[in-house]
Amino acid sequence: MAEHEYVVQMKGIAKVYPNGVAANQGVDFNVRKGEIHALMGENGAGKSTLMKMLFGLEQPTEGEIIINGEKVVLSSPTVAISKGIGMVHQHFMLVPSLTVAENMVLGMEPKEKGMFMDYKKAVEITEEYSKKFNLYVDPNAKVRDIPVGMKQKVEILKALVRGAKILILDEPTAVLTTQETEELFKELVALKEQGYTLIFISHKLNEIKQITDRLTIMRAGKSMGVYETADTSKEEISRLMVGRDVVLTVEKDKAQPTDSVLKVRDLEYTNEWNKKMLNKISFDVRKGEILGIAGVEGNGQRELVDMLFNLNRPDSGTVTVNGQSVVGQPQKKIREMGVSLIPEDRMTFGIAGTGTIEENLISDRSADKRYNNGPLFNMKKMHEDCDQLIEDYKVLCKSRKQQIGMLSGGNIQKVVVAREFSADPCLIIADQPTRGIDVGATEFIRKKLVELSREGAAVLLVSADLNEVMELSDSLIIMYNGAIAAYFEDTSMLNDTIMGEYMLGLKQQSEEEVRRVQHGE
Amino acid sequence: MGNKTKLMFEFVRGLVAILIAIAVAFILIFLSSDDPGKALECMLLRPIISNGAFNVNSILTILGRMTPIIFTGLGVCVMFSANQFNLGGEGTLMLGGFVAALIGIYCPMAAGLHPVVCIIAATVVGGVVMVIPAILKVKLKVNEMVCSLLLNYVVMYIILHFLNNVLADRTKGQTQTLPFQETALVGDLVANSELTFGFIIALIATVLTALFMYRTRWGYSIRMIGINESFSKYSGMKVGAIIVAAQVIGGMLSGMGGAIEMLGRYNTFLWKELPGYGWTGMTVAILAKNNPIFIPFAAFFIAYLNRGCELMSIYAGVPAEMIDIIQAVIFLFFAAEQFMSKTRQKLVVKETKAELKEKQLAAEGGKA
Amino acid sequence: MSTLMNMVMTTSFWYSIIRIASPILFAALAAVVSEKAGLSNIGLEGTMAFSALFGVLFAYWTNSWLVGVIGALIIGALLGLMIGFFAMKLKTDIILCGIAVNLMGGGGTIFLMYLFTGLKGNTASLTTPQMLTPKINIPGLSSIPVLGDIFSGHSILTYLAFLMVFLVWVLLYKTPLALQIRAVGENDHAAESVGIKVLKIQYIALGLGGALAGLGGAYMSMYYSQSFNTGIVAGRGFIALAAQAMGQGEPVGTMFASLLFGLATALGNKMEGMPGFSSYLVAAIPYAVTIIGLILYALSTIKKVKKIKK
Repeated sequence: MAEHEYVVQMKGIAKVYPNGVAANQGVDFNVRKGEIHALMGENGAGKSTLMKMLFGLEQPTEGEIIINGEKVVLSSPTVAISKGIGMVHQHFMLVPSLTVAENMVLGMEPKEKGMFMDYKKAVEITEEYSKKFNLYVDPNAKVRDIPVGMKQKVEILKALVRGAKILILDEPTAVLTTQETEELFKELVALKEQGYTLIFISHKLNEIKQITDRLTIMRAGKSMGVYETADTSKEEISRLMVGRDVVLTVEKDKAQPTDSVLKVRDLEYTNEWNKKMLNKISFDVRKGEILGIAGVEGNGQRELVDMLFNLNRPDSGTVTVNGQSVVGQPQKKIREMGVSLIPEDRMTFGIAGTGTIEENLISDRSADKRYNNGPLFNMKKMHEDCDQLIEDYKVLCKSRKQQIGMLSGGNIQKVVVAREFSADPCLIIADQPTRGIDVGATEFIRKKLVELSREGAAVLLVSADLNEVMELSDSLIIMYNGAIAAYFEDTSMLNDTIMGEYMLGLKQQSEEEVRRVQHGE
Repeated sequence: MGNKTKLMFEFVRGLVAILIAIAVAFILIFLSSDDPGKALECMLLRPIISNGAFNVNSILTILGRMTPIIFTGLGVCVMFSANQFNLGGEGTLMLGGFVAALIGIYCPMAAGLHPVVCIIAATVVGGVVMVIPAILKVKLKVNEMVCSLLLNYVVMYIILHFLNNVLADRTKGQTQTLPFQETALVGDLVANSELTFGFIIALIATVLTALFMYRTRWGYSIRMIGINESFSKYSGMKVGAIIVAAQVIGGMLSGMGGAIEMLGRYNTFLWKELPGYGWTGMTVAILAKNNPIFIPFAAFFIAYLNRGCELMSIYAGVPAEMIDIIQAVIFLFFAAEQFMSKTRQKLVVKETKAELKEKQLAAEGGKA
Repeated sequence: MSTLMNMVMTTSFWYSIIRIASPILFAALAAVVSEKAGLSNIGLEGTMAFSALFGVLFAYWTNSWLVGVIGALIIGALLGLMIGFFAMKLKTDIILCGIAVNLMGGGGTIFLMYLFTGLKGNTASLTTPQMLTPKINIPGLSSIPVLGDIFSGHSILTYLAFLMVFLVWVLLYKTPLALQIRAVGENDHAAESVGIKVLKIQYIALGLGGALAGLGGAYMSMYYSQSFNTGIVAGRGFIALAAQAMGQGEPVGTMFASLLFGLATALGNKMEGMPGFSSYLVAAIPYAVTIIGLILYALSTIKKVKKIKK
């Protein structure tokens, strides 16, 4: 194939971060002009790092980048933009207090009289592009007030107005509704027909099959090759992505649930932007079962978990653990009730990054009598316990004194899990427990969850990973738009299609059906 | 990066920062002195060596001057460890000195007991004052830094009011209180030197603070809150209470330092402005990387430089205030995370590559 | 108490509020600009001290107040850039950078004063009328009774300070730079992703801030105290930080907060001369008032948040 066909060529790219993580190793990545090219891989496979280098946000440690046949050094986004590269980030790169028009022209503001900002012109530009590409936005609205779908359009327009011919879209559908996704796909195809090149990062097979021409698969920082989308089956893609046969099965006995441990009743919450995030949520988690909560992210799961651990307060409703109310209680008290939480955002809540592994392992029990027989810590006992936990949970590290932030994501999560599981909990809330971590750690954590539930803990599993939530859960709730859309007492009969219909709001169980999840009324 | 390499790197980096500061000092000396050679000798050698022999008096002076900055340094350590930029050390130290002076003058007591009571009272008052910025921070999110800075001035003017309008000894030419009672004084460790028993107390305080920070649940909580408040809250720590406690302990330490300094070095209260130890304590804490155990070493270094600058101003006419510039330069480079970062990045890449290679070899070996 | 009322009712009292508020206003606007870019520059105190010294020195060397003011401005800007260098390039915590500059401003200015002039304590012996910034009588206004006495006859820098409130407002809301500064302050990744040079904007904000604080320093030594002396800034840089917080980071609000401090100080000055008032306690009033102001401001924001929630 002739060289000039490619608009993007990345050759032998390697990236080592200052903390020692090798995110990319010898990656080749080539994109043809005018195609929609999927970049696939699990969380942490190195897709984002690769794209950050293509957009000049990170510099490769090794390797070269060729754009339109010309070797370039993309030292900053400015350089990347000047080479016709635009990026639509997963976390929107917008300034909330500025209007849509202001965000559109940020960094290339039209001027009047030499020094003042020409706001009218900014609105005109916005409207012009909005019409040209058929992407509707409201130029005068402040970005903090507009819906997610519109924010994404602003992002795409922002790239286009800067002359981007190559657009990188980082998991663009993750935050969108089905409708919005369909709309986006139409827009993307229209862009392709106008000669734009699109790089589409995703791990949703259906989407990839629907709109991409070719795909590159990454795994553990390396490229697993380039494929024509039409010639590659979903099974093959997923085999390449996860490196083994698709569906992971966890062996588990049938659950023997007994009494309700966690009872949630009529929980309601409206967030600070007056969006109703939780609408009359009621459910029970029983001793000895894993109750899964599935749903597209942003449908109230995060808010719900916050309420269960009093990291936020509901407007109304009750949360009780073994009959004791959780609402308004300090976290210490909640932990004393026997509640453990694996937080979704492990770097913010799960660990103290510059602390040692040991310091992170004892954070919930530092005041225990066990370590405090006098005014001073019993260091010997603490060391023993920590070494034991490191061994039991197979944390790969040099010693308990190592800084936890230096570990890989999987090992960090193992430390979090070791702490939370070893607290002898009667209720475990696991929020995205395996997100972004390696296969080995994932498997380990899943097995532990099942083990603990069979030993009598109540487990609430919140996960956006369909595979995980379907395989691990004994029974399952689907959340949609802040409410429970469905409850399945037995997950063995479920399949993707049924799940999808409830998750995307196409179906909704009757109130009676949903009410079955309140076991001990 | 391995723990050892990291430690070594940190050490070299600190050394380079100090060398830069001394280089700046050289330049300033060459600019301002008629006899730069002599000035340099005064600054670097004279504090410990004069006329070819150890200058014991001067060394004792240095050790004596370490005392107050060890206390403020420890206080800053505790507060900064909790990520609380409380800069109230200045005010609490002055207040501690004042409270000790009051009790030292007006409350007669037995010799052994008197200084102890003075110091304890000063410690308590220092802690109580710091409750203000701490509570405002926790309850109302008032910036503790701005608040404590303003509070320093309030404290200073209130003390000056009492000193000038209520307590002044009118028989003396300058504004000062009545003399402290003999019983209240903190005795000299070495007769006729600035080295008092206060120095011993400072070293004891260092060990206790270090134990507190690294061997107790409260110190542990303070450090974890400093690293990540959300994590600490989630872990079940009482974040608000501990933030208050950290600032109160910081205030207590500087209050104690003020009392010991006052009763050790003076026999009457005559401070007319904030004494500056609070700021020096910050430099010391930065040098010690907020680790109490390193505080005395950092304090020695700063006290040494201070003494050097003082001697330089006496014998070579270079103003002693140069110390502030040197301190600031050390401060800036020492706290600079990215200072010499390229060297570090090279070390990391080298190590990671070596590790990957090792793993690969191990994997290949496993296959074979 | 009635004597106090009589004193407050004089035009000279209201004149003095403006006079006292001016240097704080400069420094508070400096804090406003850097905070909008997401940077807490607490080195304003030290910056003012350096500028106060160099303002006098430049004016002395050229026998021109204008050169002195410009020199003070440049020194202030340079210090702002220096803080930027350490904070952004070497990643020293910006709070610590500010503390370092304040440390330097304390003794460093005394050292430099000696280095350049051989003087210790103050530069009063150097002062000539040409070195002091002139008072401006505004034609028309100065002849109006009461208003003229209050608003006319201030230093040219005072008028500049209040003009700066407007200019900073324009700068922060009506120019391309405005969008970029606010973008950098609110979401620097967003700014970077559209090719805004975040570092450059941060340097600009700190440099501008430093220059404004520099003008505040010049005002102190070239008008207010009429010479440089040790301890000349006396916490005004810190009060400016409080004024910025009370003014919610907006230029106009910050101006009112600065005037409030001016009012407290002026009241104190008036009370000082009266029997029964301690000059030292009175000197503490402005600082205490500022703390109370911070508390009231914090209370009001907490209430506001609650209201939004409802």
